[in-house]
Amino acid sequence: MFKSTSPLFGGLLWKIPWRLSPPQKARQRKRLRAVDEVVDTVSEALKRNGMPMAKAVERWYAEMPQEEEMLPKDKYTIYDRKEKSYRKGIHSK
Amino acid sequence: MSYFRITLMRSAIGLPQRTTGVLKALGLKKRMATVFHPVSLDVAGQIMKVKELVSVQEVDRPLTKQEVHLQRKPDPGYYIECHSGQEDA
Repeated sequence: MFKSTSPLFGGLLWKIPWRLSPPQKARQRKRLRAVDEVVDTVSEALKRNGMPMAKAVERWYAEMPQEEEMLPKDKYTIYDRKEKSYRKGIHSK
Repeated sequence: MSYFRITLMRSAIGLPQRTTGVLKALGLKKRMATVFHPVSLDVAGQIMKVKELVSVQEVDRPLTKQEVHLQRKPDPGYYIECHSGQEDA
């Protein structure tokens, strides 16, 4: 049965909630951890084969935090110069 | 001498030309494609360029395309005891 609601009538009214849901956040953490895992694998493989460490890997360990060391702000929001607070959620357009 | 087993997990659609070029150089053309490369500094650098898109394992030998396919094949749910015209021991 058709129920008249603003999203159905207005056409362009469908909203993305400003905050991420817990499963969205969990998936984001999973993606971050996957990147950490890739770097760990590469560095271990180089070590095991007796090769010098790649510069990109060294830089990663020197500069980048692991997923569990990151602040929630860094995990779930990104910089945007057009936003009022210079931060927007990773899910917003 | 071991190998990197690299699988493309996320597509590079909408990413810069440089990223797409690295994937092409690695031989990854579509999602879930798997390639094997010997562990070297060059390949390590290439992987670091696309670390957000791939999953990497270190393996002893490169598998053939068929072996990778068999690994991904689901369990059929049955096993063959004997074929017709064959006496079982």
